[in-house]
Amino acid sequence: MGLLDGRVALVTGGSRGLGKAICKVLGREGAKVAFNYSRCDEDAQQALQELRQAGITAFAFKASVLDRAALEQMVRQLEREAGIVDVLVNNAGISRVTPFALLEESDWDEVMAVNVKGVYLATQVALRGMIRQRRGRILNIGSLAGVKMLPAPVTYCASKAAIKGLTEALAKEVGPYGVTVNHLAPGALDEGVSHHIPPHRMEEYLRHCALGRPGGVQEIAETVAFLVSDRNSYMNGATVQVDGAV
Amino acid sequence: MSCRPPRTRADRPLAYLTQERRACPSCGQPIDWRTMFRGETVIRKRFCPSCGEAEETTGQTTHEALAALTRQDATGVYKHTTSTCPKCLALIEAKVVVRDGKVFFDKECPTCGPSQALVSEDADYYKNAYLFARCGAEPLQFTREVVNGCPQDCGLCSDHQQHTCVPLLEVTDYCNLECPICLVDNRHARHITAEEMTRVLDRVIAAEGTLETFALSGGEPTSHPRILELIDLALARKEIGRVVMLTNGLRIAQDRGFAQELKRRGVYVGLQFDGFSKEASIKLRGRDLIGEKEKALALLEQLDVPTQLIFTVARGVNEDQLGKVTELFLSKPHLISLLIQPATYTGQGGGTFGGNPLDRLTIPGVFKAMEEQTGGKLRAKDFVPLPCPSPHCIALTFLLRLNDGGFIPLHRFADLRRYGGLLRNSASLPALPEIEQALQQVIYDLFARPEQDEARPILSALKRAVGAIFPGKPLNFREAIQSGERQVKSIFVHHYMDAHDYDLERVRKCCNHYPQVDGRLMPACNFNMFHRGAAVGPNSPKPAWSTKS
Repeated sequence: MGLLDGRVALVTGGSRGLGKAICKVLGREGAKVAFNYSRCDEDAQQALQELRQAGITAFAFKASVLDRAALEQMVRQLEREAGIVDVLVNNAGISRVTPFALLEESDWDEVMAVNVKGVYLATQVALRGMIRQRRGRILNIGSLAGVKMLPAPVTYCASKAAIKGLTEALAKEVGPYGVTVNHLAPGALDEGVSHHIPPHRMEEYLRHCALGRPGGVQEIAETVAFLVSDRNSYMNGATVQVDGAV
Repeated sequence: MSCRPPRTRADRPLAYLTQERRACPSCGQPIDWRTMFRGETVIRKRFCPSCGEAEETTGQTTHEALAALTRQDATGVYKHTTSTCPKCLALIEAKVVVRDGKVFFDKECPTCGPSQALVSEDADYYKNAYLFARCGAEPLQFTREVVNGCPQDCGLCSDHQQHTCVPLLEVTDYCNLECPICLVDNRHARHITAEEMTRVLDRVIAAEGTLETFALSGGEPTSHPRILELIDLALARKEIGRVVMLTNGLRIAQDRGFAQELKRRGVYVGLQFDGFSKEASIKLRGRDLIGEKEKALALLEQLDVPTQLIFTVARGVNEDQLGKVTELFLSKPHLISLLIQPATYTGQGGGTFGGNPLDRLTIPGVFKAMEEQTGGKLRAKDFVPLPCPSPHCIALTFLLRLNDGGFIPLHRFADLRRYGGLLRNSASLPALPEIEQALQQVIYDLFARPEQDEARPILSALKRAVGAIFPGKPLNFREAIQSGERQVKSIFVHHYMDAHDYDLERVRKCCNHYPQVDGRLMPACNFNMFHRGAAVGPNSPKPAWSTKS
């Protein structure tokens, strides 16, 4: 018996890295899993194939988190084929390593759009069904860089801090409808945006990490599975740091 | 000035549902029995002057008790209550009878003999109204102890089941009309003084803490030579949200300067307006007032004075005007509320009006006529009973202004039984926490609908309305009460009682009260029938215990 038997989970940005790992673990725990992606069809097909080969009922949708109409169509189709979305993991995010002095408005807008507006749009689209069924779990993937002072790009840190605020306010607002909203802030990982961290910065970071190593996407995904399960029934509006103690 | 938050009114210990007169099991006297709710438990409470109070549980849950009251197949004797003999005004038992889909009182006075009265033209509406019954709130102060029981101890006695939502102060008994339908007998004898007004304001604020509305009535209040001074006294009280002057509009029509003074002060006007029929005006008001009413209306519109239309409607006289008045109401932004009052056959005017107690307009009849005459723009199902008084006294609908200028009744997209906080005896939705919470629930329910095409324009309108009602800055009490105006309109149908359909069950929870200069707050129908000094009409004889002069 899995943690998520009978549930329908939607993971944004699920075709690779942390998103893909989350899809696999949620599927392993019994959920029907859908993910969206915006660019690489090849990665998406590969992820879908891996999920299905593992016996997971899986769906892939090409839909940018900035395209409301595409997101709505995705959720409608998913509801028809699998049922109302019970679990939403807002994972899609980007980072642009640009010194603040060189930052242009377009850089700022791009990061804030994907990392913050994308969470807003995907959440609003998936939330409708959750409110209807008076049950739902929303988990926003932020970053330690949005919670603590770290040498990371200003746009990235600002966007991840925004997710924390969004989580707390939304948790308060939709809690009465049986929907919980939480925030997971991973430290540096061995995949994904952490690749942007220069080696000397990573070494410095690891010197301050009690476990002395970056986290694995699998480790984060295991935490995600618990956080969005019914076993985690009273946590709401919380930020969970999974960082090996930095 | 105190920094403490205003005191809030506590709920009554028991929620009051029904009342009847039955024999005391100990002494056999006919006494008052009530069905009340304590949480989910149904209580039968009896009040015997000789044997005292006693209560027992019925073994039913509230759900079961309400299911029994709302059973759709009930015909014949549905329940019992206490009414009045229409001839001698004695309190007597009334059988509440369902016949031909309508509700009647069957009564037998030991002195005057049998009588019948139509109570509701729709038995299903009557029965289902009980689903809206809810616990009353206590005023901060009662004035009277229970000595002889309702309706003899008025003012308010400690047994009254609801606080004062709307105080109606009669500032004068002078009037420039002699309306054949008037339930007041104006003696042209007295204006209240500024000192008396101050005393009344002190009294109602002590009893209530805050008041959404304070209404100045009469007589015709504009006949009072110092009416603006009285208005200023009320406006000076920060505990009052709206000061409303109820008027026939004749002075406004004639005196632009007076209307401008009302506007300058921020006074609301309750304008008696019974339709556009000259014949009906003559029948109800004694002469053709249509031109003067239209002139008053035009001036109020020009000055943008927030106005409530008050429409007295009588069977066979002006019920055909309901559609036209509704259309007028919806078309003018300054008309914020419409109050429809089915005619009451009491007092010097109403008592001789010649209404037929078996064929009169009741609340569901108003719905039906409105639906027919507005082509379904408003439907019977758009209205719900107001839970604040007895659910049989007032029905209401709130209409949300859409962004295209149209209106949609709230009950069409939100089940108002679930959002009880929205059902208030108030012309609009004020900026109060319970309104915010209820509106948020409505918004989320709409948001959660699978198909959004229908919900989208309503959500857009709600976004505008919520932004206006809760503007994101601190509001004082008056601003909070007024912030929702122009976002929603309200239509109330309020059926006052007379000797034919008087129901002690209803009057016990009355929330429209007439403050008196002696400090009493008189529930409206008890005052009109038994206590009003000026209401001694041919159809309202004086019972032995009455305080009528």
